[in-house]
Amino acid sequence: MAAQAVVADRLHKSYRDVVALDEVSFEVEQGEVVALLGPNGAGKTTTLEILEGFRTPDAGFVRVLGVDPSDRRSQRWFHERIGVVLQEMAIEPYFSVAQVLRRNAGFFAAPRPVDEVIDLVGLTEQRDARAKGLSGGQRRRLDIGLGIVGNPELLFLDEPTTGLDPSARRATWSLIRRLADEGTTVILTSHYMDEVEALAGRVVVLSGGTVVATGTPASIGRRDEHPVTIQFDLPWDVSADELPVTATFVSGRRVEIRAEDDLRVLAALVGWALDRDVRLRGLTVTRTSLEEIYLSLTQGHERALPELV
Amino acid sequence: MTTATVPARAHRASSDLRLLCRQVLFEQLGFWLNPIGATFTIGFALVFMVLLGLSEGNSRIPFLHNVTLIEYYVPSFAAYGVMMACFNLLSIGLVQRREAGLLKRLRLSPIPVWAFLGAALVSMLIIATIQVVIVVAVGRWGFGVALPHHYFALAATFVIGAFSFTAMGVAASTFIPNQDAAPAIVNVVFFVLLFISGVWFPLSPGSALARLSSWFPVRYFVNAVLGPFGMQGGRPTWVWHDLLVVAAWGVAAGIVAVRRFRWAPRRD
Repeated sequence: MAAQAVVADRLHKSYRDVVALDEVSFEVEQGEVVALLGPNGAGKTTTLEILEGFRTPDAGFVRVLGVDPSDRRSQRWFHERIGVVLQEMAIEPYFSVAQVLRRNAGFFAAPRPVDEVIDLVGLTEQRDARAKGLSGGQRRRLDIGLGIVGNPELLFLDEPTTGLDPSARRATWSLIRRLADEGTTVILTSHYMDEVEALAGRVVVLSGGTVVATGTPASIGRRDEHPVTIQFDLPWDVSADELPVTATFVSGRRVEIRAEDDLRVLAALVGWALDRDVRLRGLTVTRTSLEEIYLSLTQGHERALPELV
Repeated sequence: MTTATVPARAHRASSDLRLLCRQVLFEQLGFWLNPIGATFTIGFALVFMVLLGLSEGNSRIPFLHNVTLIEYYVPSFAAYGVMMACFNLLSIGLVQRREAGLLKRLRLSPIPVWAFLGAALVSMLIIATIQVVIVVAVGRWGFGVALPHHYFALAATFVIGAFSFTAMGVAASTFIPNQDAAPAIVNVVFFVLLFISGVWFPLSPGSALARLSSWFPVRYFVNAVLGPFGMQGGRPTWVWHDLLVVAAWGVAAGIVAVRRFRWAPRRD
């Protein structure tokens, strides 16, 4: 069994009378990319802050890289081994890319070489540009560069692509994938389901301060067992009764088939269409989206909770 | 479970000291890389001192041993330089860094807290010293004001003042909700205090302003700095009772700062 990077067992945290986390338990293995999902106020940031050692839980057991993250005796050792990218872009405006990376590299006993970080985050051409002149995507990549300059074993990314345009998001994703390929354990939060599907091997869904589901993006909430939805445009000269399976009209000539036994239904449909020489225009086969699963998992749990008090 | 071995304190103090020096260099770089901020900070006191000195510099102050105004302005603007750096720059800078998430990230990096705060203090001391040297030099060679006579008292006064106003700067930063409000709040408090405490013009003893300003630390620090310049009558010396009041403010502010200091931004 791979070693555990994170063990969180029945974490509890309240801010005055407000319960932020209630019995939150999950584990992360070394080298995994895990996404924490949940509506605002679900406890994502509080969970991250406990794992980072920035806050202590009121009750429960937490071990990150084998130590208690808020234990002062091992804190420096711990901080040498984690990287943190916060929701806010924490960058001073007047330093150049190379300067600010060089400064932060100096905090660590064994940093990643600054030039390597600059190449890795794709800022080679901007290495001497001041941070304030960078685009949003470039700033975010510098921000991630600051998170990895200590060559961390474990990287925390709090909403890494919020506010970025699509191409900057793609660039950030490929950077995160590269880090994961190198063996870095990554714990990220996100509101984008496509991001989670692209990056995370496993998902932990938080809602109202509790874990409501964990699993892979493909199987969470029994997503893989949900029926598939087949849709296409039925030609004018064919009636729905002629189809080999039951279909319902959704709009105009567009029909929908819900199939539990997806392969058999598809085979029957395609075989029929080839025999009859019927074109199935606009054919789509979709499974319940991660977003739909996520919404059904978190519905009714939403509470307006402050993430920080 | 992992079987990680955790060396409790593997870092030597010497390498931490090097880290502090390095951090001071980067703090200085950060300050000078913003030319407008640097020019304004350094130039402001100088411009006012020169303007005030040119207009009324030779008038005598009857209630202060008949010294001339420009003789008074050199120490008072030297005091200003220390307070500007340690209180004003530091508190605004801390709020901006806190709200941008920089403090939180720093807290989660391996640099020890004392090295970071120590570097911020040393960096402010450097900026304060530069201002004091410029003000004293322009006073000496521009207006013929004698150099201070008691260097030990001068150094001690500045160090105690710098530590105290740094503590007040950190404490003040904990009361400021966000970075947009920071310069406005700090500058208003700061310049009003300077105004009522006799930095821009000497306060006659027993006046309403003199009584009002005796409730705040700035007046005592200005008085304390006048001592080593020989502006308090007799031989140049310390003004230890005023320094003691400044130090008391510093200690009280230090307690408030430690109790209220926060690393994370105040959202919502």
